[in-house]
Amino acid sequence: MELQLGLALPIHNSTKGFDLNNVWLEPKEMVGVEPWNYKKNYVKKNKRDFEEAFGNSKHVSQTLPLLLWSGQPNDDDDHKGQNTRTSYTINKNNKEENQAVGWPPVRSWRKKSLHPHQSGCGTDKHGMRMAKTENVGGSNTMYVKVKMEGMAIARKIDLRLYHSYQTLSNSLITMFTKYKKGDKDGARYTLTYQDKDGDWLLAGDVPWQAFVECVQRLKIVKE
Amino acid sequence: MLKKMSYSFPEDVLEHVFSFVTTHKDRNAISLVCKSWYEVERWCRRRVFVGNCYAVSPVMVTRRFPEVRSVELKGKPHFADFNLVPEGWGAYVYPWIEIMSTSYPWLEEIRLKRMVVSDESLELISKSFKNFKVLVLSSCEGFSTVGLAAIAANCRNLRELDLRESEVDDLSGHWLSHFPDTYSSLVSLNISCLGSEVSFSALERLVGRCPNLRTLRLNRAVPLDRLASLLRRAPQLVEFGTGAYSAELRLDVLSTLDGAFSSCKELKSLSGFWDMVPAYLPAIYSVCSGLTSLNLSYATIQSPDLIKLVGRCLNLQSLWVLDYIEDSGLEAIAASCKDLQELRVFPSDPFGVEPNVSLTDQGLVSVSEGCPRLHSVLYFCRQMSNAALVAVARNRPNMTRFRLCIIEPRTPDYLTLEPLDVGFGAIVEHCKELRRLSLSGLLTDRVFEYIGTYAKKLEMLSVAFAGNTDLGLHHVMSGCESLRKLEIRDCPFGDKAILANAAKLETMRSLWMSSCSVSFEACKLLGQKMPRLNVEVIDESGPPDSRPQDCPVEKLYIYRTVAGPRFDTPTFVWT
Repeated sequence: MELQLGLALPIHNSTKGFDLNNVWLEPKEMVGVEPWNYKKNYVKKNKRDFEEAFGNSKHVSQTLPLLLWSGQPNDDDDHKGQNTRTSYTINKNNKEENQAVGWPPVRSWRKKSLHPHQSGCGTDKHGMRMAKTENVGGSNTMYVKVKMEGMAIARKIDLRLYHSYQTLSNSLITMFTKYKKGDKDGARYTLTYQDKDGDWLLAGDVPWQAFVECVQRLKIVKE
Repeated sequence: MLKKMSYSFPEDVLEHVFSFVTTHKDRNAISLVCKSWYEVERWCRRRVFVGNCYAVSPVMVTRRFPEVRSVELKGKPHFADFNLVPEGWGAYVYPWIEIMSTSYPWLEEIRLKRMVVSDESLELISKSFKNFKVLVLSSCEGFSTVGLAAIAANCRNLRELDLRESEVDDLSGHWLSHFPDTYSSLVSLNISCLGSEVSFSALERLVGRCPNLRTLRLNRAVPLDRLASLLRRAPQLVEFGTGAYSAELRLDVLSTLDGAFSSCKELKSLSGFWDMVPAYLPAIYSVCSGLTSLNLSYATIQSPDLIKLVGRCLNLQSLWVLDYIEDSGLEAIAASCKDLQELRVFPSDPFGVEPNVSLTDQGLVSVSEGCPRLHSVLYFCRQMSNAALVAVARNRPNMTRFRLCIIEPRTPDYLTLEPLDVGFGAIVEHCKELRRLSLSGLLTDRVFEYIGTYAKKLEMLSVAFAGNTDLGLHHVMSGCESLRKLEIRDCPFGDKAILANAAKLETMRSLWMSSCSVSFEACKLLGQKMPRLNVEVIDESGPPDSRPQDCPVEKLYIYRTVAGPRFDTPTFVWT
């Protein structure tokens, strides 16, 4: 179906002047290798296992010192290191499950189409919406954009997930500070919001419910 | 060489033979046979498909295929659908339109997916191609009703205008009235994505004067009580999408609508149904038995009403529905819809913590048992078991597309609390023709071992929150021979697997990895050593080399290209 235009290059020709394959793994060999067992103690005798195969890369470490992992004294250490990092990510994600951008994978277009109210913050029916949640299956979300001063990324959060200023600001601060090293303890942040009239106000000046009804976007200002 | 040539068929004979070869794959194969076939083929190629607009330049395409009538282009990576690609990333269609406007004056069709289309592009399209017929903008953005007005005003032979799931800047509903009064060639119109009202009288007149109109998909803003008058003007419709399907119940409106629907004898596909109220359901009962496709994925009605409706659609081949269908509804479908081939079940409350409906693994098993032709599934649910997946795999070895989304990441088998490796393993083992697979739930490297071993025809794989080590990714990249698109998010896969399979990347269209463990150094190395790959590191928080070395890159998009680095790279992309 795809227009190829010679894009699907023969693997071996394409590696001219490039030693990744030659030095590390021959693609042909890899196809031939039976699926490796993921547990080390199952490693088959006459086949190279993953560690061995990548072990070749140690030769490369002199010529390609840029590779992070090849600089490691041995692969086991590297794997451990990676695993700890992974589990850390997992913990973090569990905590912020509901904020994982793009998950569950529902098209933004579909979300909008199914929940047209999400951007329409400020209908005086917000209390109604929360009440209706029971009937329609809690399908209402209310997304607002959050920016942090001095940071290029803006994020969108669902205000429906929060029930007080405290939970909101705690979650926002964890969300943004994980991109900044060292800032976490030192700096102080203030949450501001823009209301329907376009005015920027300090969060906390009105009751939570009223805030939810009029907030258009949020900005975290560093003091 | 000359001697050989003299024995071969004359060019016009070859050309005639080639004209019967329509699939892109076969045309590509033809052009690889020999130089003369390559030449003949390129002069008579009428349709071109480019799966990634940055994989080749428009100049290269127009130079090689001078007589193209139909162009299909795709832009952003698939994960853009889920907000993972930052705004301003690229996929602008203008450079393509510009080149084609001079090279292809006889271009008839443009089909775009996930591209940024400006009004300027639409205006250029409307003025450049004398016999322009088909414009399909699927999940596109960047244009407004001003551009659409230009298309309406200038494309006298337009047959199809399809804006499915595009984000249109809705400035005015009057663009429809730009279709000239003499214009009557419309066959298909899909405006379901538009937010605001279109001029209803213009729509009515347009529908009334286009005798060949087969497809009409309205937007939510068209009220229910207007449907009847549209349907009466176009009883020949085959595909119809309603607007908001709700109104206070008035028996006269109901009976008029009922009458209008039943006079549409050709109807095969229905969609729309926003805000559906069950009271108006009976209006479509008369056409149910003829339907092959039904999209109820915006119809927020409950299981008993859905069952009443779907139970009448005995010839249904494709059904999209919200999870309000529940297990009981899927059981009813399994009993009545014996021809069902495609099923999509969407979540009504994707962000809720607690399940709001009773939709489980059981519903999926039911349809896999009851619907022998089912081969394409998209299923959002909150609980799954290995046993259920094994049952689905055994029931439906003919499955070609299987996408399962268990909403909570890393959810284990709810019966055994084991990972779902074995279940997905069964899917790839039994479904030999599987081309597309999306994984979810708790998964270890073992599932990737199964995939690498069995999924030999798999072309697209989506992975999230899965795997343990590089080995997982390595199994897939070294084992899946037919893999063309791989998208991964939040998995502990890193440098080793990618670098070891660098050559594999040149055989694939693209690889997306976000929130994984790939280092910037590895990306740079890959980019340097593989000149035919574009390696894009997408990071909105500044240059990736300003962070510590072991800090993984945020998002990585790798694709093969014969066009070299692109020229419209935004500042947050590092190559």
